[in-house]
Order: sequence, then structure tokens, then C-alpha cells
Amino acid sequence: MMQRFLDPAVLAGISGLDLIAKTVVDGFVAGLHRSPDFGFSQEFAEYRAYTPGDDLRHVDWNLFARTERCYLKRYRGETNSQLTILLDASNSMNYRSHRVSKMDYARYTAASLFYLAIHNQRDPAGLIVFDDEVRNYIRPSTRPGQLHRLLIGLEQAEPKARTDFMKPLAHFQEFLRRRGVVLVISDFYESPEVIVKTIEPLRFHGSDVVLFHVLDPKEIQPELRGPSILVDMETEQRLEVIPEYVKGEYRRKMDGHLQQMRERTRAAGLDYHLLVTDKPLDAALSEYLFLRPGGR
Amino acid sequence: MGFLAPWFLAGLAAVGLPVYIHLLRRHTTTPRPVSSLMFFERGTQSSTRHRRLRYLLLFSLRTLLVLLLALAFANPFVRRSSAAASERLVLIAIDNSFSMRAGTRLADAKQGALEVLASRKPSERAQVMVLGGELQVLTQPIQDAGALRRAVESIQSGDSHGNFGELGRGMRALTETVHTPVELHLFSDMQSSNMPGNFADMVMPGNVSLMLHPVAKAMPNWTVESVEAPGQLVDPKRARVLAVVAGHQTPAATRTVSLVINGVIAATKKVEVPADGRVTVAFESLDVPYGASRCEVRIDAADGFSADDASNFAVKRSDPERVLFVHQTSDSRSQLYFGAALAAAAQSSFVLQSVNVEQAADVDPTKYAFVVLSDVVSIPSIFENTLLRDVQNGGNVLIAVGPSATHRQRLPVFGESAADMRYYSRSGGFSTVGQVDASHPAMKDAAGWTDAKFYYAAVFDPGHSRVAARLADGTPLLLDKQIGQGHVLLFASGFDNVTNDLPLHPTFVPFVDHTARYLSGMEGLSGARVVDSFVQLRSATNEAAAGSQGATVEIVGPDGTRPLSLQEEARVQSFQLTHAGFYRMKFASSRDALIAVNPDRRESGLELIPEDVLRLWSGGADTSAKAETSTADAKEKKGAYSLWWWFMLLILMAALAESLVASRYLGTQREEV
Repeated sequence: MMQRFLDPAVLAGISGLDLIAKTVVDGFVAGLHRSPDFGFSQEFAEYRAYTPGDDLRHVDWNLFARTERCYLKRYRGETNSQLTILLDASNSMNYRSHRVSKMDYARYTAASLFYLAIHNQRDPAGLIVFDDEVRNYIRPSTRPGQLHRLLIGLEQAEPKARTDFMKPLAHFQEFLRRRGVVLVISDFYESPEVIVKTIEPLRFHGSDVVLFHVLDPKEIQPELRGPSILVDMETEQRLEVIPEYVKGEYRRKMDGHLQQMRERTRAAGLDYHLLVTDKPLDAALSEYLFLRPGGR
Repeated sequence: MGFLAPWFLAGLAAVGLPVYIHLLRRHTTTPRPVSSLMFFERGTQSSTRHRRLRYLLLFSLRTLLVLLLALAFANPFVRRSSAAASERLVLIAIDNSFSMRAGTRLADAKQGALEVLASRKPSERAQVMVLGGELQVLTQPIQDAGALRRAVESIQSGDSHGNFGELGRGMRALTETVHTPVELHLFSDMQSSNMPGNFADMVMPGNVSLMLHPVAKAMPNWTVESVEAPGQLVDPKRARVLAVVAGHQTPAATRTVSLVINGVIAATKKVEVPADGRVTVAFESLDVPYGASRCEVRIDAADGFSADDASNFAVKRSDPERVLFVHQTSDSRSQLYFGAALAAAAQSSFVLQSVNVEQAADVDPTKYAFVVLSDVVSIPSIFENTLLRDVQNGGNVLIAVGPSATHRQRLPVFGESAADMRYYSRSGGFSTVGQVDASHPAMKDAAGWTDAKFYYAAVFDPGHSRVAARLADGTPLLLDKQIGQGHVLLFASGFDNVTNDLPLHPTFVPFVDHTARYLSGMEGLSGARVVDSFVQLRSATNEAAAGSQGATVEIVGPDGTRPLSLQEEARVQSFQLTHAGFYRMKFASSRDALIAVNPDRRESGLELIPEDVLRLWSGGADTSAKAETSTADAKEKKGAYSLWWWFMLLILMAALAESLVASRYLGTQREEV
């Protein structure tokens, strides 16, 4: 029953991003874990030998009493993987064919992931908003109020200008010094080769990089009832297009683009997920949790 | 092919509408925002071309629809043979009017008709008609050659006056039911006197092609054009017979004219007939025996048309008939004037017997030719009843209404009272006759009536009476009312030379003469008539009463046969005299009559219709019989066949196709999800 709160059309009726994130995550978690004992932060992961400087609070004193050796007990929640979300805020993200635009969907996804990371996993989380340059950067942190700052950053991320991966990603390297999980949320209207080439360096720090490709369903299967003039939302360029082309050639090109995105990202060791704005948000959350146990 | 309403072809300009919609109008659309044009390609040129190609069928259908609509309104037609040759009707019309008796005209006509019938295709239907005074159908449209031949051979010469107008009317009536082409072959002597007064009457309908077969040439002819003789006489020595002998296209010649009475030549005269002229012959006496006699005036014409060399007339010799004149005791002037006029009339056959009102009670009116009631206030009721019964049975009464008669509430026999009296003298003037019905037997010679001055007139409501004369102010002066089989003639003034001065005018004598002849029934009992004229046998309004009395008529024709059956003799009201000769009749009123019937003398003029008129009549076709005898080669008449219905059918089909194609092209596009 809680699953319906993952429907983006339902979420669009909720005003605050924090509430949306809470609704999504609670619904998602409740759907996933039927056992009340399950908890991410309480889950035992491994023992590690004590080294000077470690926090004595994590020493397993029971084990020390039995073995007189000092081990630190580590939990999964304490793998401390940093989550950084790179959010594309270009004009094209404003496209919508139904109630939820791609930007809305991206916000819901990001907010839910922030909530999941900070509230449930206690992972540091940060946000980079970019279009053709970096517009906002919130350093990953677990400080109190971090979730609030992130959500404000999401709300302030109004789409404008156009997408240019090359320019802002040069700066991403400076921001992503520590390894963790890097999520890039964009509609990726660029050559897959350029995208991979631009994003691939993010892995070099050992981060797990995931591409969330957000598309509207009408971008995948557009409808035209007659020759129409289309306007590019980023460049304002106009083009007269006939329905026959849209029904045939366009779809082939779009399918080829998606296929290339999948293949090239896999080849580059990147994870790729296509998010369609009329589908529930659980795919994105599942992906995050799938990556989270890696704990690198 | 042509158009009945070519102005509607201007509607073809509407073809530009689909051209504009499909080819010229720029397609306007609202720009749609998309995330990126990365995967789109420009499609303007190809779009237009493709659109044109794609909607070509729709464009063609719409253009066709507009085109067909404009053409349908223009009402196109094609000229084509209106029917196959086998549907053509060959119509044979043979003139058997009186003039066809001349020479071998009728035989030639029948021979020509048989040749035409023999040359027609066996599959063609043919019909035989006879044109006399009227068009008579002898056969229905049939293919039976034997029946057609027998019908032609059975045609006998008639005595009627031909009229080509009847042929035109008959063809127009025929073509109302027969829509196939009709090939009319007319075999006639093409007598110019057979043409109607209006040429339009003899014009043929559109699907009738007229083939004229003249069977005669102009020839000289002498004839007895008219005979003037009394129908009834008392004194043979006072009777005269005037005959007019005429020559048509004849040279001057001497002809012998004979008066034949009952088959015996009573007198003979030689006359000089001028070239192409006429001369009058007078026979000073007509010595006929008592009773009806068959008389004729005959000439030795020695021409090719012997049938018109004699003219019949019937004469009835009898003692003078008595006329009962009933008057007031104090009135002696009326009797004087009326009696003098009756005696002065030519060939007078009447003796006036005057009685005053008191003496009338013992008089039997049936013994008199007719009764005159001259300004009587009242008559004995027994006399009135007897007189009324006599009128019911065919007797006739003349009533003069002077000032005395207006004292009565109701006029005897006439049955009505005067509505008013007009005393013109009191206003210091008089009135005159303003309107005369010259067709009334009593008013045949109405010249001079307008000179008479009327100082008094009684006013009667005409009702169902026939008004033969009116005064200038509209007051009916002479009314004819039919009661039973008889007539009552009402003169709304007196005969006393006081209420009017008519008795002093010369016109009074012929008036009294014609009135006496009319009321005595002498008009219809003898004399001469023309073929195809009608004789009234009994009153139409009293047929039931006459029938109840069992009053029948008897008619014996010129050939000694009775042309009417017994049932017809008891019912029929009139009889047409179709043959020349003498008819012996006995009317319902028990009166016998011998009526001579002569052919119309216009038939004696054998002049032919001019060739150009014949060409005009036949529509320019060659009138020579030789060229027209071949029906197989006759040109088929082309008829205008309207294509309107075909175009409307095409429009319906185009509209349906347009709807299907348009719904396919312009309907909601369904995307495959």
C-alpha cells in the first residue's frame, strides 16, 4: 500500500521536498524490509584490529574479555560511503508531458536519496548543481542540518541555460577528492561518447559512478499529429518535423542513443539507469542500496 | 453533348477551393517545445511533398466532387437515338374527307399506305388511323401485317370536312402516352381548305416525324355551292329556290342546272359560269306535293369530282299552321301589328287566330303551332294548365309583357313575376336595345333593333333563362326559358306600338318571322344541314321526364338503316349527321322531320396546300412520296437525353469515397505504444 507513495504523480501533490523524501524512503523501506529487527546502522559488518587512534567506543569489549585482544566492531552503517549527486539543471530538464517534469522527478529522486543516506545510513551527502557551469555546490557532510541544506539546494536548482558536461566536470574533480558514490542525474542530451569521456574520470578516485538518465515518456515515444514546428528548450532553435519521421527515424535514433549509453557506460565501468518520469522512484533507491554494501 | 443550363458551368471556378486547401494554403502549427532537437531532422520540403502525395487521392476526390456538382447543375445532355428502330411506331393516317372522293384519290392513298406497311420492318409496330372530321383509330399499335392491311382496305370514303388541326391534336394526345419515335405517314389530297385557322394547331410534337404523301393534283371543279329554299311552304307558287353554282380553278363554261324533286327533274336552266367564279340560279317555283319532299339542285359538271355536283334540301309542304294570339279585350293594336308582320313574312306559313282572354278557356293549344300571350293580366286556369302541359310536351309560347301584365303577381306559364317596371317615358326619354344575342334563332336578323325606342319594359330575373336581347340599361328584353321539351319566349315589352315603336320598324317582320319559325319548330324539321352537324333530339334537362313517358326518337339514315340502337333512341340527346343525304327523323315531341345533309362545300375547293407550307409542316423533310416510302431509311430522330441522374449518382459515389478517405487521413492518429 505504501508503494503508491513512490508514484511521481502522487508525490507531485506533496509540497515539501523533505516530506516527499520521507514519504518515499519510508514507503520504500517498509516495502523492502518486513522484519522489524533489520536496521542498516545496526547491522554487523566485520571486526578490525585496533590501531592507535581508533575510537575506543567501538571496541568490542566482550571479545576483548574473552580473547584479551582489542578489536573494533564495525557496522555497515559505518562504512561511511559519501554520496554526491550531480544534478543537471539545464533548461531541457524542464520538459514535461504530464504532471511531473524531468526536473521534478530528478529532485524527488535526489531528495529521497539524500534522506536515505543521511537519515538512514548516516552517510555524508553532497550536491552539485550544474548546467553549463557549476551553479551550486554543497559539500558532503553528516553535520546536523545537512539534509535541510541539501533540500534547499534542490529547491533552488531551477533549470536554466543549457547542458555542457565538459565545462563543469572539470571542476568536479576538485570537489570529489574522497571516494564514495557519485550519482549523475541528467537527461544526457549529448553524445554517449562525450558523456562517458567526461564522467569516466570521476571513477578514478575509486568512486562508484551511477548515471541516472531521466527521460519523459514522450521523449522516448513522441506523438505528432501533423507536421509540427519543434522548439529546442535550450537553444530556442526551431525545426519543422513531420509525424512520419517521429514515428520512425526518431525512435530508432533514440533507441540507438539509449543502447549506446548502456553499452558505453558499462564498458567504462559506470552504472547506468534509465528513469522514466511516469515510473515509480524505487528503481533509483534500489540502485543506491545495491551500491551501498560495497562500502568502499 | 451539350448543357441545358450552361451558366452553371461558372461553378467550375469552385474547383480552386480544394486546390487552395490542398496545395496553396500554408500549413500553420503551434510550435511545440522539446528538450532537444538532437534526434530530430528538418522535414519541411519532404513534408509538403509527402503531404501532397498523401492527400492526392483526397484532393482528386474533392476536385471531382466540385466538378460533378457544377456539371450536374449545368444539366448536361447527349443527343442520341431516342429509341431503337424496333421501338419506332409507324403511323398510317389516311384522309377520307369528302374531297377524297374525287378521282382515284382514296384508292391511291390506300395503295400508298399498303406500300409503306409492306416496306416496314416486321418488328416495327404500326397503327392505322382515318382522318375525316375527326381522327379515328382503326387499329392499335400492332405488328400483324394482315390486320393492318385489312384495316387500310376497309377505309371508305366519307363526307366530312377534313381538318389537319385534328391530326395535330390527335398526335399531341397520342404522344402523351407513346414516348417512342412516331413516324407518321399522311396520305391526303393536301387540300388547302383542310388547314386550320391557326398553323400551330397542325404542328407535330417533337417525337413525331411527319411524312407527307400527296395523292392528288389541283383540278378544276364545278359545284353547287349553296341552295336557298324554304324548309316549309304553303303556296308552291310563292316559293323560290336560289342556287349558287361555283367553279374552282375552272374556265368560263356553260352549265346546266336542274331542280330535282323526289327524283324527278322539275326545272332546268343553263347558266354561264365565269372562270373561277360563281353564278346564282333562281327557280321561281317549287312545286312539291304535300308532305316532305327530297329536293336537290344538280349541275352537269363534267369534272372529276361528281360527288359535289348536287346539293340536297328538304321541303315540307303543308297547309298554313295556326297561331293562337291571346290578348286583352281592350287591346286590339297588338293583334294588328303582330298579325301583319306574320302575314308579311316571306314564305309565311302561319295564320293568326286571335282570341281574347275570356274565349281562351275553350281553346286547345295543342292544335296550334305556338301560342302568343299578348299583355294578358290573367288567363283561365284550365287554359293555363293545358298550355303548361303542352309546353312540357314540346309546345312553345311567346309572351309579351305590357303594362297590364304587371298587375299580376305571377306571369302565366312563365311562372315568375316582374321584379320591377321601367317607365322610361316618365323620365322624359326612352331606352334602346344595347345587346343582342345574334345566335338565338329569333334574333338572326337583328339589324335595326338599335333604332327601336322602348318607353316601357318589365324587369324579370333571367335566372336560368337565356337572354337574347337586353336594353341599354341592362334590362333583359327577350328571354328564352325552357320548360320541359318546350320553350317560353318572353318579350319584356308590348306589341302595341305604345310601350315601344318596334312594330313600326322594318326589323319587326323578320323578328316575328324568325320567332314564328323557331317556336313552331319549323327550323329543325326541314331544310338542309352540313355533314358532322348535330341535331338535338330531346331536351337535356328533361331527359328523365321524357324517358318516363317512353318518348323515343326514330332516325333513318340516307342508306335506309337506323344508325341508333333502340336503347340509344330512348336516351341519346343529340345525333351527329355523319353522311350526306336525307335523314328521316321522328322526334320525342312526335314531330316528323326530313333533313337534308350536304357535305361542307369547302371540300369542293380542290386547291392544294403550297409546297413551301408542306415543307414547313413536315419539318423540312422531302415531301415527295417516292423519297419517303422507305421507312427503313428514314432518319432516326435524335433526342436530348439528360445525364443529370448519372451525374448525381457519381456525386453520391464521390461523396462517399471522399468521406472514407478523409476519415482515414484526417482522423485521430493512433500511436503504437
